[in-house]
Amino acid sequence: MKANKIARISIIAALYAAITIALAPISYMFIQIRISEVLTVLPFLFPESILGLFLGCLLANVYGGLGLIDIIFGSLATLTAAYLTSKMRHPFLAPLPPVLVNAVVVGCILHYVLEYPLYASMFYVGLGQFLACYFLGLPLLYLLKKRNWSKR
Amino acid sequence: MLRDITIGQYIPGTSLVHKLDPRTKIISLVLYMIGLFLANNFRGYLLVTFFTVGIILLSQISFLTIIKGMRPLMIIIILTLGMHLFLTKGDPLWQWGIFKISEQGLRQGIFMVLRLIYLVTITSLLTLTTTPIALTDGIEKVLKLLFIPIAHELAMMMTIALRFIPTLIEETDKIMKAQMARGADFESGGLLSRAKSLIPLLVPLFLSSFRRADDLAMAMEARCYRGGENRTRMKQLVMGSRDYFAFILVGFFVVTTIYTRYW
Repeated sequence: MKANKIARISIIAALYAAITIALAPISYMFIQIRISEVLTVLPFLFPESILGLFLGCLLANVYGGLGLIDIIFGSLATLTAAYLTSKMRHPFLAPLPPVLVNAVVVGCILHYVLEYPLYASMFYVGLGQFLACYFLGLPLLYLLKKRNWSKR
Repeated sequence: MLRDITIGQYIPGTSLVHKLDPRTKIISLVLYMIGLFLANNFRGYLLVTFFTVGIILLSQISFLTIIKGMRPLMIIIILTLGMHLFLTKGDPLWQWGIFKISEQGLRQGIFMVLRLIYLVTITSLLTLTTTPIALTDGIEKVLKLLFIPIAHELAMMMTIALRFIPTLIEETDKIMKAQMARGADFESGGLLSRAKSLIPLLVPLFLSSFRRADDLAMAMEARCYRGGENRTRMKQLVMGSRDYFAFILVGFFVVTTIYTRYW
């Protein structure tokens, strides 16, 4: 792997973890928004960020989260979602995988680890993800596209 | 506000847990979790509690530090307890209108809260007693054991990311203050308007981060970084007798939890 690729991936990972920590989830009743999830739109422009998001999520979960289960499965969910995002054709579809994959995987984690009702936890996680990815991630994606950032 | 964050909260020490090889700690953590998930009755949880308290005492980390780490989890702890208390069906202990607490619900709620607390305690104990560099070294070795091909690169990226997290947190703080000086409002409004107000923060943060990444890549190339091939380490990880002792102890713990579950 080339040095510049390693550097970019590492910085994206650091950015994800830093945003997660600096802007701890904004919560309003049960719905929580993890602001760093806006970064999940990046693989659409820049496929190398897939690994960065995976590592960032892993680091963020190491320092706060539900422990090892969240570290392993939470970050694998982010990895899967990021890969799917990179394969999307239209920008409007880019935030869809992180919403769906996280709703299912994190919902299942909450169900199996803490025995929450399965569908309710999937719904609330999905709603939080939807707000983060569509209301924040999508505008950001268009902004970055307009600035032609992917070509830099 | 951002100054209070202590990422990579490593607390230096000379305890037995500090001295363990990071690989031992990572593998033991996985085994511990297997034990924790096997516990499903009073005896099982009692055993896990004794074992966890024992490890905390061995690590010489103060209980206060561990309890402080629980603070961000308060909401989820209360939510978990409440959900199990009121939603589990069973013999009613207490009833008020539609609210009913059953014996099974109380039991399940307490068990799940304990599970959550132990999960977080033991994971944070790993980061509290292991330096971030030792931790990434350990992760690299464990990934190699699992035959993951880019183990070195992954560990390298984690090390760099760990190094940059505090820098980027500081940068976030700086940009936030700069935008507030220009009239940006991050703290009022509903959920959506608060989330949207973050866009003027995120875009400059992205751009400056990528500038940093380019500088870093140039610095790495200038020092002839060529990936993991032929790279040697100044400090080699070596397993000692205390590591084998730790494995025996954790193994015994898992076997005993299996015993409490089925007999």
